[in-house]
Amino acid sequence: MRSYLHIKGKRLWKCCALISIAIILACCGEIITGVDQPATATVGSVVPITVHINIPTVGNGGPDYLIFGFLVPKGWKAAQNTTITYNGPLGSGTMNLIPAGTVAKNGGGLDWPAYMKKTFQIGGNLIDDMEWVAYQSDKAYPHSDGNALSGDLNIKIKMGADGNNTLVKLGYVITDTGNGFTSDSNGTYYSEKVTDCFELTGGTGDLVDFCNPQLTTINPPKSLDNDIITLTFDGTVVDTKLIQGNPTETYLCATAYTSDGKTISVCEQTDKTKMVQTTSNSKKYQITFWPKSFFGTTGTQTITKIEYFITDKTGATKVGYGNTDAPFVYTFKCS
Amino acid sequence: MKKNNIFYQINLLLIAVATILMASCKTEKPLSVAEPVKDITGSWQVIRATRNGTDLTSIIDFTKFRVNFKAGAYNLENKLPFLVDADGQYSLDDPKYPFKITFTATGGTPVATPFTYPIVNGKRQLTITFSPGCPNNSYVYVLQKTN
Repeated sequence: MRSYLHIKGKRLWKCCALISIAIILACCGEIITGVDQPATATVGSVVPITVHINIPTVGNGGPDYLIFGFLVPKGWKAAQNTTITYNGPLGSGTMNLIPAGTVAKNGGGLDWPAYMKKTFQIGGNLIDDMEWVAYQSDKAYPHSDGNALSGDLNIKIKMGADGNNTLVKLGYVITDTGNGFTSDSNGTYYSEKVTDCFELTGGTGDLVDFCNPQLTTINPPKSLDNDIITLTFDGTVVDTKLIQGNPTETYLCATAYTSDGKTISVCEQTDKTKMVQTTSNSKKYQITFWPKSFFGTTGTQTITKIEYFITDKTGATKVGYGNTDAPFVYTFKCS
Repeated sequence: MKKNNIFYQINLLLIAVATILMASCKTEKPLSVAEPVKDITGSWQVIRATRNGTDLTSIIDFTKFRVNFKAGAYNLENKLPFLVDADGQYSLDDPKYPFKITFTATGGTPVATPFTYPIVNGKRQLTITFSPGCPNNSYVYVLQKTN
């Protein structure tokens, strides 16, 4: 049989071979080669996700345990609702939760979830209500003789423990117990993959959108009426009628719904409701308040939710949810 | 002969010096210093406050909020989120080495929290960590006596 590959000259062959070997040698860390994840799922369903990994090695080292981090919304309680197994040419086994407080290799005293958050933050999501859940393989693997180890991590997660419809970018990261998130002349010993926005539907709670910038956000994202909350109006998200003229302040016009079926409205343009621009010309306005005091509830009343608009100094121009006439809604809850 | 005399005198002098040096040594008896009882009686105000690590001091008006401790009782003025939302009794776990303070609002259940009591710039400070709303939201108030 005739070969279609013609490379003239022995030297060229050798040269190509050398370059290939050099490339292989240069790569020695764990690599996530792909993630198979559905684009949507429903709350409460068990979703399979497969993370394909490849671990090229240089020389001899280890044995090290594989470390895997999974970035998910805190409300999903992924540590309780997820199982992960792995399989590959070297065998199969389970990925186990790393006990909290286990100090990470090269993590500067941090444990693995904290080290992951410090290194990769929240994977480009916009609400800091996400967590890295850290797992470790039940068996260690050696780095030997340039063998490449490839395999799959098979995740099964019961979605949306908090019952909220969610838009979120899920994140995946791998490394090993011998290196952590480091690089050296041999290569990079970790790999991170953040997927496109994943949509969770069919829930009973509010939509939590980690992916898209919101006109208003409340920090902490989960709070009760006895927390101190910071409400931010971001005029850069869309061009609202409020921002035309670049005002230095906007005002909050809000109605609280209480546990005893009453509504309390605070809609005035005074210092109490003033939202101050975070920095000049930032078009972002902020107010921080204690809801109990802001709405003047009695000791036995609890505020369950608030509906609100952002207004100008006259109160005549109002902006609501998605730049419409409908109010923004925030429900006070912890999960 | 004269030389011998000088040696004799030097020897005498050395013995005298050695005797004086030895006599000057005596066992020192350390004075026992009693650890003072930590007294937090007085009116305290918030000088620094954080929520989940974010500084709130300049964006919430803490200037009027007071926690007053007196004879085992406390009361709150110009309320803000705190461990308790009503006046009542307080106690420390140890009067000399307190690590925990317990507030019991009248008619309520006791709420305990770890606290520190350092001296900063010559003034006592009281640092209290608590979660008045969702358990995941942690607040730290640093209080200082108003007078």
